[in-house]
Amino acid sequence: MNVRAIPQELEAAFDREIKQLHARVAGVIGCVLATTDGRRVAAVVDNEADPQRVSAMVGSIVALGETIGREVMIGQTQFVAVSAVSGMILLQRVPAKRDLLVVGTLARHNTNLGTLLHETGIAAAAVGIVFDEWLKSANTASGATEHRGVEAAGRPPLADS
Amino acid sequence: MTQELKLVFAGSMGAGKTTAIRAISEIEPITTEVQNTDFVEFDKEETTVAMDYGELTLQGGEKLRLYGTPGQMRFQFMWPILASGALGAVLLIDNSRPDPLADLELYLEAFRSLADAGAAVVGVGRMDRCPQPSLEDYAERLAQLDIVVPVMPADVRRRDDVLDILEVLFQQIEATNDVSQNAVSE
Repeated sequence: MNVRAIPQELEAAFDREIKQLHARVAGVIGCVLATTDGRRVAAVVDNEADPQRVSAMVGSIVALGETIGREVMIGQTQFVAVSAVSGMILLQRVPAKRDLLVVGTLARHNTNLGTLLHETGIAAAAVGIVFDEWLKSANTASGATEHRGVEAAGRPPLADS
Repeated sequence: MTQELKLVFAGSMGAGKTTAIRAISEIEPITTEVQNTDFVEFDKEETTVAMDYGELTLQGGEKLRLYGTPGQMRFQFMWPILASGALGAVLLIDNSRPDPLADLELYLEAFRSLADAGAAVVGVGRMDRCPQPSLEDYAERLAQLDIVVPVMPADVRRRDDVLDILEVLFQQIEATNDVSQNAVSE
């Protein structure tokens, strides 16, 4: 997926899910949907944090969390949490057929971690369903081979892996 | 106790940082590569998003800890983290990119303290396919920037080329230290 060329309808659907997560959990002050290689896809941030920088850091931290998980042989990482004096951030991969997206939720320090984890998981699952449905329709509509033409010649396809 | 030295490999996306560490590491490198989603930046399947790590033991028994940085500008926050405490830096430039000399300036600026201390070396890749800018062009640009670091062509897929880079880096560090010590004693 070339994130610089996400179709408008897909971007709007991702944006909706992220805004819903932000709105439904008290104490949440920011939500970011980023690619695993650190590019911003959708974001709502209440404070001064720069969503693009946060997205890059989300990509790095999730990769580091998963790498250390593998290194110490504790199995597949389920989520990564950073707890700080004034808040916390929770990062969770989007469960989809293509493992390309991560949801990050930034919350005030008095937010219940269990609630945050549960709600972030729900949002990640919803984003995954949106993404999978779009992948399915995109592949059905154009066929895997033809779809390679969506991006510039020679680039990997948007929808088939 | 074995002395441990830290080296950092930096440079643009696709310049070969992961490949260089893989070429010389005596352990299976730890990598944080994920699928690349930005084909405008570089047409490459995977990209490093946090760091690479490898190890190499020198003939004298010193252990080199090799850290690779992610290349894209958005990961700039990782560069000082990984460069902290480094003895030296290997800056890899891809000569097939649109403006390799601008890349040179960018990474020299980012690792300026190491470059100013004479603890950096520049390895230029893909010169066989893209001979311009030439090594003279690199030398000229370095002179304009008032930075003295060696520049050499390198195919980082080849272990010997990467080891040559490290040898030059260590010679450069040693020479700079000698000059500093002489200046102090005079």
